Amino acid sequence: MTLELSRLCKGYDRFDFGPVDLTVEDDALAVLGPSGSGKTTLLSLIAGTTSPDSGSIRFDGRELVGLPPEDRRVGMVFQEGALFPHMTARQNVAYAATAGERVDELATLLELEDVLDRKPPTLSGGERQRVALARTLATDPDVLLLDEPLSSLDAPIRKRLRDELHGLFDSLDIPILCVTHDRRTATALGDRIAIVRDGAVEQVGAPQAVLARPKNRFVARFTGNENLFEGTVTDRTGDGATVRFGGIRCRTTAPDPRTSTVTVCIHPSRIEIGAPGIAADDRAANTVAGTVARWLNEGSEYRIDIDIESAPITLAANVRPPTFERLALGDGSDVRVLIPRESIHLIPEAR
Amino acid sequence: MSTGSHSNRPGSDTFGIDWLSVALLLGGVLLVYYVAPLVSLFLSVPAGDILARVNDPTVVDSATTSLLSASISTAVATLFGLPLAYWLARTDGIVTRAVLAIVVLPLVLPPTVGGIVLLTVFGPGSPLGDAAIAAGFSLTRSLAGVVLAQTFVASPFVVVTAKAAFESVDRTLEYASRSLGKSRWTTARHVTLPLAGPGILAGVTLAFARAIGEFGATMMLAYYPRTMPVQIWVAFVELGLDNAYPIAILLVLIAATALLILNTVASNPWE
Repeated sequence: MTLELSRLCKGYDRFDFGPVDLTVEDDALAVLGPSGSGKTTLLSLIAGTTSPDSGSIRFDGRELVGLPPEDRRVGMVFQEGALFPHMTARQNVAYAATAGERVDELATLLELEDVLDRKPPTLSGGERQRVALARTLATDPDVLLLDEPLSSLDAPIRKRLRDELHGLFDSLDIPILCVTHDRRTATALGDRIAIVRDGAVEQVGAPQAVLARPKNRFVARFTGNENLFEGTVTDRTGDGATVRFGGIRCRTTAPDPRTSTVTVCIHPSRIEIGAPGIAADDRAANTVAGTVARWLNEGSEYRIDIDIESAPITLAANVRPPTFERLALGDGSDVRVLIPRESIHLIPEAR
Repeated sequence: MSTGSHSNRPGSDTFGIDWLSVALLLGGVLLVYYVAPLVSLFLSVPAGDILARVNDPTVVDSATTSLLSASISTAVATLFGLPLAYWLARTDGIVTRAVLAIVVLPLVLPPTVGGIVLLTVFGPGSPLGDAAIAAGFSLTRSLAGVVLAQTFVASPFVVVTAKAAFESVDRTLEYASRSLGKSRWTTARHVTLPLAGPGILAGVTLAFARAIGEFGATMMLAYYPRTMPVQIWVAFVELGLDNAYPIAILLVLIAATALLILNTVASNPWE
């Protein structure tokens, strides 16, 4: 089953969506973008609550543009659920269900047995989302759309529902589009992620590929990569290019970029921190010396800004608590920074 | 730090006067002005006397005419008004605003003028009026005339109030229903109407209350059969004020019932 969007456009007073081309097969695509980037417009266009100005939306070759929402077989889980407030949870699901036994099946699958007789206003955020999901799945849709399914939830519930959604998505053999502004949700739920900005798709790919090899600075920043530097390619070999940025020279495994001026991009989680003074015996990594300028405890890891000794640049690095404690890091600590060759990504200068 | 009556904040208290109490006191004058005449009406006639006169044929006839005509007018207003209200609630733009202005017109037009404009369409001498007479019935001086007058004056209440009720229903819920494969009609029946129900009932109640009290346009269009307000006028002019009391009290009781409905099952649009 394939959902195929081509040259899809929709103009608003102060915002133009598209043209967007996107193909989703039997996998989950997480659409990641800041608010106002057109994520909800994308879902509305597929669901049929908004009509495009031009372009087509095809499901297995069948054109959906022009069909009313009720004839598209596209299931949509709305932000906050959009449950019917005058019906109980059971009535909400039964309203959508094609067969009576589906209600109990889905209630079991989504652990809703205890809340079936309650009305939406008395449900918690997580319960509401699961009822909404059950209601949509009860129609056996050809395509499943989810609009910010986790954004209104508290952290522990969000994490639990995220795990449940991940399992559910795996079990469904239909195209799934899940819209979110949170990159952790996107990488956890998407088999692929699509980064959108200003109504256009910037990059689509497997989460790890997009994170490691962003196409441009926006994608890099939005996927949590703060280490972006102007650089110059100084040498090209079959093993990879050598790049100079901020006065330091690094060998990379990156293939030859098309331009000599590049943006050097190093994900903070790929940088390793070691004790100072130890001889650099790791040939696969570039080594520079620096001092800790700032650090931040982010809970599961530390975020450290390091001023590089020989260059006017600051590198951000993620450090796991055991490393942070073993090195007894603090403001002003001298450290040795290892930048593995394969962790350096080069973005060619835009022409 | 400071409590309501001893605050020194500018604008809240000046010279130690609690202005909120002053506001209530001034408004209280108006409240007394509303309630005192009603109490006076009930005190003017002994209860037994009213019960006796309520069985008077003119009273029974006018009450029957009023209840029947107001029910029909309200039904007509609801039948045609709800779709219009839904359309107004779900569209936007210059056409919508123009249509809404037309709907509000009968509300701001003096009822007697309403009667005149209706007479030019339905009265004797007008093509429509003459056609109806030729077909064997009259659009004036008949129950049909009463219904025409009442519908003109009362139906905007259904449209305006139901429009607000439909607008209060989140459109996302309608989208949700339709994305579940339900048609517009099924969605309206199972989602929109139940959620807008109390507001629609308020509009229907207001329209009924307005219809049963209609006097000006009815006088012009259908003096006969007499409705309760017309009968009050006739009794007052021909027999004196005392004779107008029983029907007046009946109308007060109907108005009180309408208020009760507005404040219980319906959602009072002015709250």
